[in-house]
Amino acid sequence: MKTQIEKVLIESTVRTFEDLCFMYQEPELKDAQKNLPLEAASEVKYRSDDFTGKLLIETRGGLSPAIATNILSNDDPSAQQKKDALGEIANIICGNIVPSLGGGGREYKIEPPRSLSKDDLLKEEGQEEPVAEITLNFNDGRVDIKLFVDGYSAAKEKKSD
Amino acid sequence: MALNTLVVDDSSVMRSIIIKTLKLSGLPLGDIWEAKNGEEGLRIIQDKWIDLALIDIHMPVMDGEEMLTRLRENDQYENLPVIVVSSESAPGKIEKMLKLGATFIHKPFTPEILKEVIVAVTGVNNENTD
Repeated sequence: MKTQIEKVLIESTVRTFEDLCFMYQEPELKDAQKNLPLEAASEVKYRSDDFTGKLLIETRGGLSPAIATNILSNDDPSAQQKKDALGEIANIICGNIVPSLGGGGREYKIEPPRSLSKDDLLKEEGQEEPVAEITLNFNDGRVDIKLFVDGYSAAKEKKSD
Repeated sequence: MALNTLVVDDSSVMRSIIIKTLKLSGLPLGDIWEAKNGEEGLRIIQDKWIDLALIDIHMPVMDGEEMLTRLRENDQYENLPVIVVSSESAPGKIEKMLKLGATFIHKPFTPEILKEVIVAVTGVNNENTD
């Protein structure tokens, strides 16, 4: 069962991909999309007066170049443009999801996105448990998004539903 | 009337997205200028004829709030149509920008939404005559 935060995360991600990348979610994850190698990752950290955390986005199966191509109208985006485009997508989704974490009225700050290497991801793996985690498929690729709130876990979030 | 438009955002990708969306909106556009912070944006406004400014909030050097405050302090730009384009959802920050006479568009946005807001703030004819 999806948590409320995961539902908001899905809505925000689908809308961002539709409006900015002109990509539409495929109804089902195909078998070929399940074990695709990681191609790109980016994280955005956020902080409010009383909580901090980050949003992590990972792409697989050609989604990273497709995002850059679509949002920049450039058939051959550079490596930096691919990183920047994914970072901007992460930034927008984070800006949309963070207010739903702490209720209305809070002020918060979203840091600029940071591109992550496979080594960066390996270092961070298992250190924290995400509050929400979603996988969506677009074209032949896939996007995985994890939302972390420092000091909270998915188990706590599910209990409070 | 073709709109000379200034796009101010520290992200080159976001500037490209906004410009692409402007073009897809079908509105009559004149020259499009880009700046990566409020300071650069103010310099362009002083040097060029600008009909519309689309600005981000969070930028280094000078953020969108300070840029807008400085614009409104100058009688010449008191009524310049300004649209704030941001993923910001904190009500306090948005409220400040609205009080300074800006209109707010939340990211992500479609060409249709952008067109609707630009027509409302500039009164431009919404048919592209190109």
